[in-house]
Amino acid sequence: MSEVVLQARAIGKSFPGVRALDKVDLTLAKGSIHALLGENGAGKSTLIKLLTGVHRLEEGELLLDGKSVQFDDPHAAIAAGIGVVHQERNLIPRFSVAENIMLERLGPSVLSRVDQATLRAEAKRWLDLLELDVNPATPVMRLSAAKMQLVEIAKALSLRSRVLLMDEPTASLTPHETEHLFTLLQRLKRDGVTIVFVSHKLEEVLQICDSVTVLRDGRNACQSQPMTGMGRQDLVRLMIGRAEQIPAWETRDRTTAPVALQLDKVSTSLGHQDIDLTLHRGEILGLYGLVGAGRSELAKCLIGLFPLTGGKVTIDGQPAAIGSVAEALNRFGLGYVSEDRKQEGLVLAHSVLDNAGIAVWSKLAGFLGFLKNGQIRERVLPAIERLEVKTPSLAQQVGLLSGGNQQKVSVAKWLAAGVRILIIDEPSVGIDIKTKAYLHELIRALADDGTSVLLITSDMPEMITLADRIAVMDGYRLTGTLVNDRDYPRMSQGIMNLIHGEEQDAA
Amino acid sequence: MQPASSLPLGQPRSAGSPSFVRAGFLGGNEFGLIVLIVVFATLFTLATKGFASPFNLFTLGRTMGIDILIGFSMMVVIVSGGLNLAVGAIGVCAVMAAGWAMETFGLPWPLGLAVCLLVGAALGAVNGEAIVRSGVHSFIITLATMSIFFGGMVFLSRAEAFRELPPAIAAFGKLRLMGFLSPLLLVAVATALVLGWLYRFTSLGRRMLAAGASPKAAEVSGIRVDRTIVGCHILSGVLAALAGAMLTARHGAAIPSMAGHLGQDWLLPAFLAPVLGGTLLTGGKVSVLGTLLGAMLVSMLTNGLLLLRVGEFWVQAFLGLLLLTAVLLDLGRRRLLARHRIAV
Repeated sequence: MSEVVLQARAIGKSFPGVRALDKVDLTLAKGSIHALLGENGAGKSTLIKLLTGVHRLEEGELLLDGKSVQFDDPHAAIAAGIGVVHQERNLIPRFSVAENIMLERLGPSVLSRVDQATLRAEAKRWLDLLELDVNPATPVMRLSAAKMQLVEIAKALSLRSRVLLMDEPTASLTPHETEHLFTLLQRLKRDGVTIVFVSHKLEEVLQICDSVTVLRDGRNACQSQPMTGMGRQDLVRLMIGRAEQIPAWETRDRTTAPVALQLDKVSTSLGHQDIDLTLHRGEILGLYGLVGAGRSELAKCLIGLFPLTGGKVTIDGQPAAIGSVAEALNRFGLGYVSEDRKQEGLVLAHSVLDNAGIAVWSKLAGFLGFLKNGQIRERVLPAIERLEVKTPSLAQQVGLLSGGNQQKVSVAKWLAAGVRILIIDEPSVGIDIKTKAYLHELIRALADDGTSVLLITSDMPEMITLADRIAVMDGYRLTGTLVNDRDYPRMSQGIMNLIHGEEQDAA
Repeated sequence: MQPASSLPLGQPRSAGSPSFVRAGFLGGNEFGLIVLIVVFATLFTLATKGFASPFNLFTLGRTMGIDILIGFSMMVVIVSGGLNLAVGAIGVCAVMAAGWAMETFGLPWPLGLAVCLLVGAALGAVNGEAIVRSGVHSFIITLATMSIFFGGMVFLSRAEAFRELPPAIAAFGKLRLMGFLSPLLLVAVATALVLGWLYRFTSLGRRMLAAGASPKAAEVSGIRVDRTIVGCHILSGVLAALAGAMLTARHGAAIPSMAGHLGQDWLLPAFLAPVLGGTLLTGGKVSVLGTLLGAMLVSMLTNGLLLLRVGEFWVQAFLGLLLLTAVLLDLGRRRLLARHRIAV
């Protein structure tokens, strides 16, 4: 193995009641891309926090260039050349790109005048290095999610990071942007930078990483193994201790069932044009497209968050002009599981009972709006039990549950409300493989029971596992609909053709 | 395979992370306030003569009742993540309108009270609608309406008080139950029960909390956040009007200056009570009991310090200090609890 830059030896970390990490080793070679994998709760975040000085190291040893180091705070880690690009953005929206990159070095002293020209010149250097074509004077809030990501990388590099930890860097990127990022990472690697790549997308990991460390339940499932000879199945086996099961479900055809939701030449205030869509009773209709294709936006227009500007929506044969989510829910039995669980899906500070019950309050309210917790519990418990939400009690604050359980609560909410049409947006973002498989079975079971599901996902295997038919969207238009025959290579090719074809037309 | 059959029915309450325990009553604001109230009450009883006298308890209870209502009028908008700087202006405007109606048309006091509460509700609705329709933060809107309401009232009333009110009003303010208890305090306690019931048991209260904690999530869950926020402001107006009515009972007259210029005298107690009581300024969490106890503590401290012959201005400074200390202490408490992974 080539020169080792950072090594962690027998690192442990305990929180009261939880052993988060136990004797974990990690060896990072200079100029390599190292995958750090594990299910949610396996200890990846804790490890990253220990490496970057967010948590203090109390057990085990950290060696930088062979010398033992101890980071007391994140600044110490940055000073030692360990940079991190977090999953969530850490940029100041109204500040310019240059100011964001140079935030810690705006001038020699706090009172000296900020020299914008110098800042921009310095920032430009790093932007050029990344071949990122943005004006350093642009406020960050005008950039796309992908460019913000790259600005963060530029910032980390400008701090002379030799080790760059990236937590789910491709979560908000399109395939094209991802490719661009990968070219960049390859170049950084050639320049001697060590990159730690944390991702749930195994295809990407296989494509780009040189070595891999897998954590499982706070321990090493493997430690810094070369990636050569590893396949997707091997990684999955290491992560969950068994091979990934591709469910051999029968194909379903619901096109003869009554129509639940019909869109006829719908256009919206967000820019959708001529959308025709038919969702049958008990059908799972997939809506595939790249990030930015307008799928979530369409969902939000359908539930009444944004107005339609043309066309006709029919629900159960009745024309539906939906003006608010309350109307969508109460009059048409239409619910939406948001992709943004923390902002739109749940009230994190409130209890499981309040979150799961939020959509039934108006139905259960009696005289003077009187609600009985017992009644709510009665409505909510079957959904909670059916989804196997793991919570110490219904009074538990939802924000304290794991991501998977939070997602279950946000689905349970609509089940309890008895919706007949459910739009589910990216059901498995940030959820571990076991929970994901379980959610899939659940969505399928819901459809079998007659709920119509409009499924939005960017996860191709998930789409092919679940959907009966797949509608493909690109640039706020529908480009075609396929019947899912569950043949992965053929379906993914067909979907890609539909996206690609539109791109060629546009060009 | 039929997926439905493979879904196991779990025991949702058995498994899960055992690492969080609930703080319970002893770790909460309410308990801390009760301790403080007991400590200071003992102190004042020992250090002053007259603190525990029936007459002082009566006047103290009267002030408490009014301060509690003022605290509630702010609390109900803080719940929605906003605030209402116009509580004092609304309170005074409402009683002035009622005073005018009673003097001019000879309305009996129950109708006068109804006018008072209706005007409070209407002014609250104006605030709420302005906030929701403009999208401007409630701070700015209520800062503006505070001046508008108060200015309009002074213009219409020519700053003259209404002193010829039905005698029942002043009699109610002077009424002493068992020699020491003011019925105003009972009104406040009754209001607390109603509010407690609202937040705990009604759909409306739950919606207010959800809209305050996370407006986006509430909206996507089918709650009409706009209407809910207007509702919070209407409720705030009604409670402010009720506080004004109680103040009128104490004075025996509706006086334009009874809440200070622009009604600003109410602002400190309005914020102190909910914040001391543990209502989150960011919205979404409420403690009716905490606000009640917070207001009681504030009134008692003011009363006790005045009995100790501390000057009025020092009392104000002290209350300001108390507000800061409360916020800092609460911050510290949260950090401590978070460190020990205790959920609040």
